[in-house]
Amino acid sequence: MSEPLFSFGKMQEVLILAPYRRDADYVRQLLLAHEIDASVATDSDTLADQLRGVPGVLVATHEALKPEVLETVAAHLEAQPSWSELPVVVLLDKNARTETLRLHLNRVWPRARQLFYHRPVRPAELISGVQSGLLARRRQQDLYENLEREVELRRELNHRVKNILASVTSIFEMTARQAASLSDLKQDFRGRLSALAGIHSTVFDAAGEQVSMSEVAALILEPYRREGAYRIRASGPDVPLNREAATTLALCLHELATNAIKYGALSVDDGNVDLIWSHSQTSGELALSWIECGGPPAKEPSRLGYGTRYLRSAMTMFFGNPPTFEYTVEGFRFSAKGNISRPN
Amino acid sequence: MTRSANRRMRIFYLEDNPLIAFHVEQLVEDLGHTYVGSLDSFKALKLQFENYSMDVALIDVDLADGRTGPHAARWLKDRKIPCLFLTGQDHIAADAGDIALGTISKPVSLQSLADGLLLVPE
Repeated sequence: MSEPLFSFGKMQEVLILAPYRRDADYVRQLLLAHEIDASVATDSDTLADQLRGVPGVLVATHEALKPEVLETVAAHLEAQPSWSELPVVVLLDKNARTETLRLHLNRVWPRARQLFYHRPVRPAELISGVQSGLLARRRQQDLYENLEREVELRRELNHRVKNILASVTSIFEMTARQAASLSDLKQDFRGRLSALAGIHSTVFDAAGEQVSMSEVAALILEPYRREGAYRIRASGPDVPLNREAATTLALCLHELATNAIKYGALSVDDGNVDLIWSHSQTSGELALSWIECGGPPAKEPSRLGYGTRYLRSAMTMFFGNPPTFEYTVEGFRFSAKGNISRPN
Repeated sequence: MTRSANRRMRIFYLEDNPLIAFHVEQLVEDLGHTYVGSLDSFKALKLQFENYSMDVALIDVDLADGRTGPHAARWLKDRKIPCLFLTGQDHIAADAGDIALGTISKPVSLQSLADGLLLVPE
């Protein structure tokens, strides 16, 4: 996280500008008695520094409003972030012409919530004016935090969208390289994209963005089961998976299923597939097997397709070691295992 | 073509999205370089660094162990391995600008990868 643009250190503290010592002490004591922190600006040289600490409210007496003070405060108001509006309480002389001063201050101190009281001011009145200023400050702080959160969310959203686009780009490139015809490309790309879309929705809908291995298997394999002729049995314990793990496993299961349909056990009516997994909660090891039987004998391809190469590369990354591909007379077998709670 | 564009490099990739890693592996080979492998976290890199010989490392910002890409780049730089960020988090990569040679934005293309690799000194 980058440093905040503005510090809130003293946004609940009152800064008092009163050249007459007794006035300053009086106001300070009054505020402290009401549990409001306050500090006194003793001269206009240190005023700029004190303003940099961002006061919650500025209380100024009439006689404090000298040109250099007006200028220093104006510079601070100018530099405020857009959500900030400094509450200012001005204590006027008894016979002051309020309207003239009000107009003047409105002009030289823009973006300040100004309150005017004539002296002598009743303590209760002053306190309530300061408290309403502090409350306004708290609202401004809420606004600031919401704005910050929105910036953060937009960044996160942008990051996720970019990642998804990058994934889709990679799927497209991988599919396009492999495809022998436009209709191959369409079919394979559509299948991979819908596996990606499906797992995205499943993870998004899940509480805490965690899904179980069974949910992933059901999502990817269900469409093939519904087609009736296919028999895919999936069995294993509940293993919680985060978004990345669920996405990788979903795409890999999709590759296994489409391979089985094109060349393996699911290319014939009598074939079936067992997807079996086990998980050790103590070691964190997940072991996964995809066993085809009843189909044509599996022959090791002379050249691996991109789907299979992706499977190998993704599973190696996921489990921390390469998976096994077996081409037997009974059919194709795939197995992978590794510690999925590897130290992260 | 410059000389460095013709140079065959051994390229390693730190990335936690296997799809993108696989795609980049293909692109690296298309460019005539050698892809020496990928790992998904800074932690894994520290444990397995000795198993890889690399001339340059491509690094994502967010990895399986968090936003550790910049730390990994610093760690590799200390071991005299030049790094390029390959990420969608351009603003974070930019903050860590002094650690890496540059940033390749996601999604990556053959051209953007080739351009990025030109930054690797001979």
